[in-house]
Amino acid sequence: MEQSFAKRTLRDIAAVLTVAIFMFPLFWWALTSIKPMYAIFNKDEVVVFDFIPTLINYAVVLLGWSRATIAIESGSTFGVGGTSSYDSRQTIIDSIIIAVGSTTLTVIIAVLAAYALSRMRFRGRDGFLNWVLGQRFLPPIAIIVPLVGMYKVAGMRDTDNLFLGYIGLIFIHALMNLPIAVLLLKSFFDDVPKDVDEAAMIDGATRWQTFRKVVLPMVRGGVAAAAVLCFIFSWTEFLLSLFLTTIIRTVPVKITTFVTSTGSEWGFISALGTAAILPGFIFILLVQRHLVRGLTLGSLKE
Amino acid sequence: MTDAVLGSQPGWSMPKWRWLSSEHPLPWLLPASALMIVFGIYPLLYALWLSLHKRNPVTRLNVFDPHYNWAKALGDPRVWHAVSDTLLYTSTALVIQLLLGLLIALLLDTDRKGYGILRALMTLPLVVPPAVTGMMFLLMLDGSFGVLSRSLYAVGLLSPQYPILANSSTALAGVLLADIWQWTPFMVLIMLAGLRSLPKEPFEAAAIDGASSIQAFFKLTLPMMSKVIAIAVLIRGIDLFRIFDYVKVMTDSGPGTATETITSYAGRIYFNGDFPYASTLSLITLILVIVASTLFMKIFRVKL
Repeated sequence: MEQSFAKRTLRDIAAVLTVAIFMFPLFWWALTSIKPMYAIFNKDEVVVFDFIPTLINYAVVLLGWSRATIAIESGSTFGVGGTSSYDSRQTIIDSIIIAVGSTTLTVIIAVLAAYALSRMRFRGRDGFLNWVLGQRFLPPIAIIVPLVGMYKVAGMRDTDNLFLGYIGLIFIHALMNLPIAVLLLKSFFDDVPKDVDEAAMIDGATRWQTFRKVVLPMVRGGVAAAAVLCFIFSWTEFLLSLFLTTIIRTVPVKITTFVTSTGSEWGFISALGTAAILPGFIFILLVQRHLVRGLTLGSLKE
Repeated sequence: MTDAVLGSQPGWSMPKWRWLSSEHPLPWLLPASALMIVFGIYPLLYALWLSLHKRNPVTRLNVFDPHYNWAKALGDPRVWHAVSDTLLYTSTALVIQLLLGLLIALLLDTDRKGYGILRALMTLPLVVPPAVTGMMFLLMLDGSFGVLSRSLYAVGLLSPQYPILANSSTALAGVLLADIWQWTPFMVLIMLAGLRSLPKEPFEAAAIDGASSIQAFFKLTLPMMSKVIAIAVLIRGIDLFRIFDYVKVMTDSGPGTATETITSYAGRIYFNGDFPYASTLSLITLILVIVASTLFMKIFRVKL
């Protein structure tokens, strides 16, 4: 279909404008993170570019500079919110431990289950698939309340034992990500013809050898996609981390503590927020191809 | 059938231990099952057990009283209010996100140069932590220096006397804005995948027959996209129903209880220490999700 030049231009403008609207909050967020206080909290006018950029907000949240020193140096206490700590280095480490740990655990467990669900015929196979899918429908709130009680009895809260606290949160994130990983990986295994397995097994390989040496290398792309999605979902998760932990603070939970009754430190919030968004951006561009398949649990392919 | 197929492996000498070998599905499924039992099934049963107990606020002991929490929940106006808020939020967000998603997908669905970048940019909101999205909109909707609020004041859609998030009749709309920004791209992405998978021939035939592009959209595109749309609505609907992050961050259910959803009410009860009642409310959320999604899948004949 040949469209007229005017029609095409109109479409280009509409498309760019739409995407620009969706990019605006991100732009504003990043912009806020390099603004000095007077530019953020200006009640007379909205300051867009008329300010001297500063990296002080990043220095406070990522390098642990003292909030008080800055206030004294700048001679202003405007917008200072309480005494909470803005140093977020430990928070970022916590988030990385949880995300990497739960991603590793999820992918290992899921790849095994997905292979069996894709390759073996057995009684209860459909039931198991439905169980996995049902897990995706489960509201996190339904398991977190009793889970906190369970962890308390088992001494697994982070206030009881820090190491077990990490383990506990890693496991619950793994549970949350299991359905998407299993169903996504199953759809990748389904794409590999069964003849491949049969050929290997006729040559005398066991199931495990067939899986490990032949089929698994063929779905490397799928494993990477599943891992990236698990990492992103764990990195962005809020409710479970908020309810389950008090000492361990993941980034999304920590950032909400910067909002205080005496005022919100938007400079620090947006600096940590911008830093927290970046890994997701890099990762999502890597799995762009498999994103639809992942988000629809393997039921739609691009 | 199962065992017959699996048991036909030649040369297997210890049939007793066959289920421990890699030829049997059990070892493959065991880790996943263990995770789902210990962290999924067991907490659910524990929640059920808790919901059958009454918490004594003085002694902080749970006493068996099977009807207490469930009767309390059914007679609690805040529960009904939270459920209706959740339904309103879910349905509004679904309709807006679906329509916007479809429109934007149609707009971006072309092989022309540069559109690939636009499509990639469109996916970025998806990976922002929802709590951070809530913060972004909290900043932009701030009553005195928020850029979005001030733009709305300037065009007269909003009055500075009634900041959007502090006014009980507009607060939910403010929270919705964050949700729409973050999740419309989800719809765009899925609709784009659907549009790209459509066969070319019917459209060429329709063009030859002189059908307009609007006719082709309603007569061909929409019907052929119905499965994709149903899957997208189902997945999005389930996630919308358990909305928590934006509400917690942006309004904390306020002002008053104006933006309280069922999940945030359960969360509030939980932080107040009444575990049995919080369990009951979270089970009610679960039951509603199961009923709604089963009905949806039956009516629209979707299967994930």
